[in-house]
Parts: sequence; C-alpha cells; structure tokens
Amino acid sequence: MRYEYLTGNIAIAEASIVSGLKFYAGYPITPTSDIFEHLARELPKYGGHVIQFEDEIASINAVVGASWACAKAMTATSGPGFSLMLEALSLAVITETPLVVAYVMRTGPSTGVPTRSGQYDVLQSTYGFHGGLVIPVLAPSTPQEAYDLTVKAFNISEKLRTPVVLLSDAVVAHTYGKVAIRERSEVEIVDRSKPSTPLSEYRPYDPVDGLVPPMACFGEGYSVLVESLTHDERGYYAPRSDAQRKLMWRLYRKITESSGKLFDYSSLYLDDCDVALVSYGSTALSTQVAAKTLRERGVRACSLKLKTLFPIYEEGISKLLKNVEKVFVVENNVGLYYRELRGILKDRDVVSVPLIDLDVPLPQEVVGVVDKWL
Amino acid sequence: MAVTHPLDPYLRVDRIPTMWCPGCGLGIALGAILRAIDRRIEEGLLKKENIAFVGGIGCTARMTLYPYFDSAHVIHGRAIPFAIAVKVVKPEMKMVIVGGDGDIAAIGGNHLLHALKRNADLLVIMVNNMTYGMTGGQLAPTTPRGLYTTTTPYGNPERELNVIKLAAALGANYVARSSITHPQLLERTIYKALAKRGLAFVEVLSTCPEIFGRHIGLRNPVDLYMELKKKVTVKTNPSIEESDYDWGRGFVIGEFVDRDEPGFLDTYREYISKSFGGGAV
Amino acid sequence: MRVEVLIAGRGGQGILLLGHILGAAIAKYTDLHVLGSEIYAAETRGGDSRVDLVVADREEEADFIKVAKADIALFMHQLQLDAYRDLVRDGATVFLDKSNITNIPQRNWRIYLEPYTDIAEREIGSSRVANIVALGHLVKITSIVTPEAIEKVIEEIVSREWIDLNIKAFRYFLVR
Repeated sequence: MRYEYLTGNIAIAEASIVSGLKFYAGYPITPTSDIFEHLARELPKYGGHVIQFEDEIASINAVVGASWACAKAMTATSGPGFSLMLEALSLAVITETPLVVAYVMRTGPSTGVPTRSGQYDVLQSTYGFHGGLVIPVLAPSTPQEAYDLTVKAFNISEKLRTPVVLLSDAVVAHTYGKVAIRERSEVEIVDRSKPSTPLSEYRPYDPVDGLVPPMACFGEGYSVLVESLTHDERGYYAPRSDAQRKLMWRLYRKITESSGKLFDYSSLYLDDCDVALVSYGSTALSTQVAAKTLRERGVRACSLKLKTLFPIYEEGISKLLKNVEKVFVVENNVGLYYRELRGILKDRDVVSVPLIDLDVPLPQEVVGVVDKWL
Repeated sequence: MAVTHPLDPYLRVDRIPTMWCPGCGLGIALGAILRAIDRRIEEGLLKKENIAFVGGIGCTARMTLYPYFDSAHVIHGRAIPFAIAVKVVKPEMKMVIVGGDGDIAAIGGNHLLHALKRNADLLVIMVNNMTYGMTGGQLAPTTPRGLYTTTTPYGNPERELNVIKLAAALGANYVARSSITHPQLLERTIYKALAKRGLAFVEVLSTCPEIFGRHIGLRNPVDLYMELKKKVTVKTNPSIEESDYDWGRGFVIGEFVDRDEPGFLDTYREYISKSFGGGAV
Repeated sequence: MRVEVLIAGRGGQGILLLGHILGAAIAKYTDLHVLGSEIYAAETRGGDSRVDLVVADREEEADFIKVAKADIALFMHQLQLDAYRDLVRDGATVFLDKSNITNIPQRNWRIYLEPYTDIAEREIGSSRVANIVALGHLVKITSIVTPEAIEKVIEEIVSREWIDLNIKAFRYFLVR
C-alpha cells in the first residue's frame, strides 16, 4: 500500500485497474474525460484495452460485449451520456452482464452548466432505464471513497452479474485527497463464477441453486446465448407470463435481497442524536461539518452519509435512525432521494433540504436551513 | 432413425422451425451462411468455438437465435459496437453480424459508418428486404422511392440509401452485394468474406412476401422471388458506379471492393505494441 | 490538529502547482490527512487561481474541501487578497508577495511580507518560480510538512529540466 494525492476521478481510474479492469470504452464528456485519459495511458500497461467510440451508445454496448468476452469492463460518463446509455443498461440487466458505469453528475437539465456540480440524477441512475428493476448505485464523497467504492462496484457487478453505477459528482471528481492505493494482493477481488457443467449442458440463465447464474463467455465453447428477449434458463425466447414472472422476480430478488450486504455508510454522533442530517456524495461533506457546527451550539445533531444509495436497505436505514426525532435529507437537487427515505421513515419527521448549488453547498447553508426547522 | 440435416451440428435444432414467415428469404440466407462457415471449418480456417453471431433487432437479427454458436441477440442497431469489443478482447473470434437494412443502416447507421472508417474486423451481413418486416411494413432507408409503406401512405418521398457505396467510400476491405435468388453465389460470397481481415460488408437482397410483397402487390412468395430474380444481374468485378440502387432498373450483384488493407486490430495492436514491446495486447 | 490552508493568486502565477505540491507532500510523506480543491478561471492567465487545503491528523477531521477560516494563507496578488481576506481567521499566519501587494488590510494576522516575485526573478533567475520561493517560506515558518517531502514531490512531478531551478527556489528561504 502507498499513499497518493489524487482527485476523485483519478482515484476511480486507479481503482478500476486494481479491480482487474480489462476493457474501457468511452466518449469524451465533462467532467469525466480525465478518467478516460488516465486509463488510455495506464490500462494498456496492464494488458487492458481502451477505445474511444463514436458515442455513448456504442461505448456502453461495447462494454456489454467486452464483458461477454470475459473482460471486466467499464465506461464513464455524465448526465447527457448516461441518458444515451439507458437502453443498453436495460440490456445489461436482462442479460445479467457485469459492468461498471462511473456516472459523474454535473449541473443539468440538458447541457446545464457542464463543468459544475449537482445531484440531479440520483434517481435516474437507478430508475432511468426501462424495465422496472434496480441497478446498485454507490456514491463516494471523497477520493478515498471513490477508490474504495470503485473496487466494491466491480465486485458487486461480478458477484451479482449486474451493471453497477458508481455515482460521483463534479465536486468529488475534482476534489484532491489522500488516497491509500492498494496492490492487487491487498484487495479482495471477486470474479464471476464460471460454469461447472459440461459444454453442451450449460444454461446461461440457470441460477442452479442460488439467484445468480454462473457465466460462461464467448470463445469458450459453451455456445453462449446473450438474449435481450424474455428468456428461459437456456436463453430461449419465452413470451409467457410464467417465464416473465420467473425471470423478473429472480432479477429483482438477486439485487434487493442483497441490500443488507451491499449497504455502506458512515456516520458521526449517531449514538447520541436527536437531529440527523442524511446525505450522500459531495453534499455529505457539508452535512458532516454542519452536524459538528450544530453540536457546538448545543443541538444534538448527527450526520449519516449513505454510500450505497440503491438498493435501499430499508431495515438498516430505519434502524440506524430509530432514536432520532427529526431527519433532514440534504441534497444538491430539488429533493429527490428524500422521497425514497420518506417512504421508509414513515413514523419519523422527515424534512427535505433541497439545495441548488453549482459547487459543494457550504456547511453554513445547511445549518441555516436546518435552523429554520428547529 | 431421426431425420437429420447436414447443417444440424450448426443449428439449435430444438428451436426449428424458425419464427420467419413461410416464403421469407431469410432461411435461404441462413443456409448459405452456415454452408460457407462449414466449408471454412472443414478447411481448418475457422474453429466452431471461435465463431460468434451478433444481431440487433428485426427479423434478420433473429437469425442469432438458431445457429449453435456463441450468439448475441442485443438491442436495435447496436450489434456492431458489441462485436467490436468482443473482437478486441478476443482477437481469435470471427464476428458475424447479421441485421436487416433498418438495424444496420438506419438506427445502426452511425456505428456502421465508424466501423467502416476503422476497417473493423467484422463480417457484416445486411439482409435487405426493403422494409421493416417485423413491425409491419414501415419505411426503411432502402425502401424504393415512391413506394407505399404504412408510415408513408402517400408514397416514399425519400431517396434510397445505397449502403454498398457507403461501405466502399469509407474503406471496407470487402464490399459485395448478393441475393437470396442466387443461393450458391451467396454462399461463395460469404465464404470469401469469412477469410477477410478488416471489414467485410455483404448486402443480401431478400424477399419479404408477407409485408413488402403486399405493398407491391406480389404477396405470393414465388412471384416476389421471381420478380427479384428478374431484377438482379450478376457481374464479375463490377465497378462501384454499377452498384446503383434502383428497384425500377434492377440491381447488379457481385464484388464491388476486394482489398487487403490492415484492419482495426492490426493497426491497434501495432500502435500498442510499439509502445509496450508487443507484450501488452 | 486541524489546519486550513488558503493559497490564492492570479492565473499564471503557478498557484495550482504550488497547492498540488503542498497537498501531495502532505498526503504522500506525512501521517496527516488532507482534502483539497482548486478554483481557476477559464482563462489561463489573469483570472482567479485558488487552492484550499484542509489538513488534519485524524481522517474525520480532514472533513471539507474549502476553507472557512484559514489558519495559513498565502496571497500572491492584491486582487485575491482583497477578494478572499475574509476567509482568513484572526491570528492566522499570512504570507504576502510584496512584489504584487501594496495595500495590506488591518487585521490581527501574523504577516510575512516578502517580494517573492522579485526574489525569483533576481536571485533565482525566473519569475516563474515565485510560487516555489513562497512555498519554501511557508514551509519554513509553518513546518506543516518537512522540506524533504516537498523536494521529493518536486522531483516527482516537475519536468526534469526545471527540477534544479525549482529546488533552488524552494531552498531560498529555508537556508536563510
């Protein structure tokens, strides 16, 4: 292990290499291009491939293809590019293709302020694609978290055969910080499970005795079927309600039933708290400082930073906040994730603190809004 | 004793019959493709486990459901980037892309354009039935001008897209037009294209009696087949000017381009190995 | 221990490089934790350049990316001193480039006023390393990081032909 001084973006790039990334496809977009450029320089040194495609649609479809050729694969983008990728994310969900999308949010809608920050796309990151299932979403707030959560994102994608979104933002992207860089041998790396059946008996969507099927890939003799249509365990088109039900519930359950295992957070003063400030991503930096400021003034405040945004670990979050009187959900948008938490914390007083800042909201801004409600 | 077909080892026989309508030209096309592959495997040029079919959406893309190879039936228009990635990661693979004119040249047009520009190492087989068959007969980029479709009920006001000229202009190594009315020629064309590095593009004129046939009043499969056959002229080494796409005057089929420029993988590996002593890729 | 550092000047004065060297030296060669951010105007020369660092011995204390009340500040130009002086707390240690600053506000600061740009030009040989001359002064007075750590980072990130010049600039105040 060694320490480096990296931005959130470069931490993502470095962590993807240690996670075993072998294929990166991308299209330049602010504020992610330095992930792409860093990997273009570094990944070939590790035997990996980096290719610029003609658009984000091609990039994400190439990432799906590379994953079926046994390569750990990733792309990085921002709102406009992610919008173009949604159809193929749906493909990755139904074909159970492991891949990681580093989604660095910027100010929207549309072209917005391309170089600046926001958290407007937190719901789009998991609900944006068609098909009504959930993609795991992890959100870092510092370069160290960007590094650690990137490793985690790859591991989740391989373990659950699913696309995973690493949801960063323009503030985290450009924040410098001390990052513990680990060697491959120092990191727990998960690889997809491979079939143990004879070549001719392999069924690419048969979970055997769990929820996640072993995955063979192209060129191994398994005659793999990658099928975007509703399919049975063989990958054969199955336009029947029973097949649809079976597939949907398995895809749904393999993600949601892992919510406890995927859950990651950090907190301050949670054991002794009346007023909780809940946040994620760069805004969580502000709420942590705001909680300290409020405590200095005698308010029993605490902060809860969610690093796993989806799937939502309802029991876990509810339990963490069980002794809290009031919950403030602080985010740099019109109050989106608040809607998710409101449903979970029905018996609690939950207040939305929607801030719209091009940069990281300042702690005093958070304190100012919370003050009005106390 | 069960009846077997010589191509059965290459087919998921439990999925036959196919979903295609009676009289559809796609069965002839698939037969020719598999026979060409069989010859290349018999020769030792290709290994079965290194051949993959990739298709987007449409009747032609459904061709990926039947061959007993690695196959991907992905989303509309996006077979090419999927296949390029597989090829880059596993250069030993032979990527066969099957798609209709809509899948390849309309929604997938930008990917085709850039794959051609890269001379990407792919065999792209575009089966052209001049309409959107699966969705019920809407306008395709290849629909003849003036023709009725369900989305141009007063006649198609647009010019047809000649993908042969596009592929030739952007530098594919191999560009040929063939037709399901000439199955043996089609097989020879695919056979040759399978051995090419870089991008090999084969347009296969085909018949959709159920939809296109209804639009032009030739719903009987044999009538439409004979009509297309009449319109097709076989030429040896025709010039690119002779590739003109005109339903009224007919179509020249043959090899318009056959060259051996370095493919994308060649140049990609050359630049990487120049920097990393050949060890990295 | 938690220290906020603010470094500001005009575009083209090497503010971002200075901030990067300081942050990297702390991150890589001390047990301290650090978070930092940069602000720069779109134009390469002339606009605002600013680096904020929050340095702490415990990870959870290095908790923000902008200074609220800087404990250590370095201003390389009058414009940024005027713009950001309220971000500096009473009692802070403040370094000012006398070459570009004439109007010093009445504050309860520990001020070090030196003509970094003139020194760089006359004594080192290039005004371009005024930032590194100032960094040497800041490191000498504050001891926030060892000079050896800074020199290691200079050798790692400055292109080879400029290393000696930068080391010479960095040592100017340290050897006095």
